[in-house]
Amino acid sequence: MTTKFSVLGQRVHNIDGTEKVTGSAKYTFDVVLPNMLYGKILRSPHPHAKILKIDTRQAKKLIGVKAVVTGKDTLGHKQGIWRRFPELCDEEILCREKVRYIGDAVAAVAAIDEDTAEEALDLIDVEYDLLPAVFDPMEAIKEDAPQVHDGVELNINITRHIEWGDVDEAFKKCDHIREDQFKCSSQAHVCMETHDAVASFGHNGKLTVWTSTQSSYYIQRLLADMTDIRESDIRVINRHTGGGFGSKFELDSAQFCAAILSQKLCQPVKIVLSREEEFTATKRRTPMYYALKLGAKKDGTLLAKEARVITEGGAYTSMGATALYLTGFFSSFPYKYPNYRYDGYRVYTNTAPTSAMRGFGAPQSTFVGESQLDMMAEDLGIDPIEIRRKNGMTPNYEVPGQAFIQSCGLHQCLDKIDEHIKERGKLPPNHGIGVASYGFMSGGIFNWFNTPYAFSAAVVRINVDGKVDVYTGACDIGQGSNTTLAMICAEELGIKLEDVRVFSGDTGICPPDLGAWGSRQTLMSGNAVKRAAEDCKNQIMEFAAAKMGVNIVYDLDIKDSWIHIVARPERGVSYYDIVKEAIRGKDGVAIMGRGHYTPHRKGMISPAYSFGVQAVEVAVDIETGRYKLVYVTTAHESGTVINPVGIEGQLEGAIMMAGGYGYCEDQPMDDGKILNPSIADYKLIRSLDMPETKILEIDTYEPEGPFGAKEAGEGLTNPTAGAIGNAIYKAVGVRINDLPITPEKVFKALREKEKKKAK
Amino acid sequence: MSYQCPVCNKVSSSALDLSRHMIGRGDKVHRDWINSKGFKYSELLTLQFKSFGGEGYRALSEVLEKETKVKD
Repeated sequence: MTTKFSVLGQRVHNIDGTEKVTGSAKYTFDVVLPNMLYGKILRSPHPHAKILKIDTRQAKKLIGVKAVVTGKDTLGHKQGIWRRFPELCDEEILCREKVRYIGDAVAAVAAIDEDTAEEALDLIDVEYDLLPAVFDPMEAIKEDAPQVHDGVELNINITRHIEWGDVDEAFKKCDHIREDQFKCSSQAHVCMETHDAVASFGHNGKLTVWTSTQSSYYIQRLLADMTDIRESDIRVINRHTGGGFGSKFELDSAQFCAAILSQKLCQPVKIVLSREEEFTATKRRTPMYYALKLGAKKDGTLLAKEARVITEGGAYTSMGATALYLTGFFSSFPYKYPNYRYDGYRVYTNTAPTSAMRGFGAPQSTFVGESQLDMMAEDLGIDPIEIRRKNGMTPNYEVPGQAFIQSCGLHQCLDKIDEHIKERGKLPPNHGIGVASYGFMSGGIFNWFNTPYAFSAAVVRINVDGKVDVYTGACDIGQGSNTTLAMICAEELGIKLEDVRVFSGDTGICPPDLGAWGSRQTLMSGNAVKRAAEDCKNQIMEFAAAKMGVNIVYDLDIKDSWIHIVARPERGVSYYDIVKEAIRGKDGVAIMGRGHYTPHRKGMISPAYSFGVQAVEVAVDIETGRYKLVYVTTAHESGTVINPVGIEGQLEGAIMMAGGYGYCEDQPMDDGKILNPSIADYKLIRSLDMPETKILEIDTYEPEGPFGAKEAGEGLTNPTAGAIGNAIYKAVGVRINDLPITPEKVFKALREKEKKKAK
Repeated sequence: MSYQCPVCNKVSSSALDLSRHMIGRGDKVHRDWINSKGFKYSELLTLQFKSFGGEGYRALSEVLEKETKVKD
């Protein structure tokens, strides 16, 4: 760990931690406004149906009901986050003519309390004409399949193609080729705070929305699109958010219905989705059918890879189009394939829409790729670490036509994991250690949203007492980004962390920022904050230089709130004194700095990438197929570590989430109905199931990141499923190609293996 | 040599690339053109997913090789 920093690298608890652990932090769930009403949403019980009639008369007559809205009360606009492509904006939220999945919203009620609103839902009479439905993308792609969206033949929502080199020629030169098929399951985000919103539309024509979101700016803009209220007349406030994981940066039914009801009544309306709605009527991880072909030379050099994917899109485009692209891109990670081809197809189905979830297509591609790579290594008689070492990305590598990798510590990570495996020594019977390598982006260089703004912007204000306010549109969703940004600001200004206060996620007072997705805030928002702080610092330095009367050849700096000559640190003045004088000298105006960041000339995907290698040890009970995650060790590099406590939190959370994806989480359906829409039935890894974990941080420096920092949030969810699969194979010799790798599947595979052996 | 899409005029460096473009684009006009040549677009797509080696692309590229405009 480098020690050249004063603030960065310190073990810091989140700056809002006290509020949270004492229960005083106010989430949207806690917002109560005078005259506030409570809203509930009526949802379709059918996977595919025409809406013939909605009769709301009885519901409106119920005492306590103030308003009932249906799709007819909206402007009829279709929304979507891919705003540059109108044909991909395909979701009305309140359906007018047709429902496309069980959970699609058809009406909303505002009443004096939740019980009354709930009762009113039962009084709304919706007449449906049921339509044939399709649930599996492989069925939906057939010519005679029901059409989920009119005019979208074969239900193909979007296709993506990535290719470089000459794949067909390269396969001819391979000594060994493998073809394998995999299936990746769905996963729910299971945020502690469900989707919720309090909307307040005033007689002045302005709308304020408190909501749990990953991007206040996106919600502001999308609400403007859907209501025709001017963007600046909408204020979206995100004070605290109880988790997002990719589920909360699109406009959702709570936000839209609360806004429409409030607009109708000029009264605040609060909607909190139930846990069941959270499971059935919000978005989820994209299930994928994957087919992979991999070719290598005898010595393990990978020459060519071909990947084909069909994804279950669900009823709407959502962010699934990005997941389709990213899974194709990350299917080539983190190796140097000279020849690569990817064809991806996203297919509409009458199921809950699939979208972004932590890892954004990469957990799927990493599971399938790392599983197949181990199979290839075994076929060739090469050690799994060695084949990864032989082909792994290195610094300054260009992914042809796609991306430029600057910093990359993959090989150091492999070395560390190799050492770790050797240290574990001989394992007990039916134990196995599996490895998986991974990489991930530090924010996306995508503007499908069509924003005219910089991707990140920040304002820093220094007050007369030397305290600093940071204004950022970035959203702290529990991942600790406010703490990270405060640390970056404090480091740049050379002051104490306690002197920095962060205002975030409020479009009324903060400059626009695309928000918390794609692991973008440390690098992108961090750069904006650093530049805004630097702007302030330069202003302070001008006053300090004049005050100190130093020779202009000397450089000044600030450290520990002491402005000093770099060559003569003892010669200086107090930061606090200079700030006071500087403000007086600026005619009483506080010192303000502005900063922004938009990646330029950094390829098509991301300005920077992080890398790592994970080793998972499992212990399998060969009688039952049950297995235990014994130990998870992750060698990870994320550039300069801003806050070690933050990284440890990300790692533990990622293992819980990615372990669940690999081991037990799934959303089985019957005719489009999710069968386990409760915490009781949806199996998560709980604290008692958590394995022992260890993180081996590798020191790297990312030139594009603030102080050399890059992603540390999502990448950690990529390797675990693949490492589990590889570990089970090492332990008991069975390979499971479809997620989740449940004990039942292991049990069946063990019995099959026994049968074959007996023959 | 380059190959021009008969539907949207996009230029590709090979008939195979053009075939990938047309199947990948997948909108109605591209599908209609493909179907008019005796293929079933859905079958080409399914073929793409079910087998490696780009048979769907190759089959279409043979037609494109003959029928699309070739520029110097």
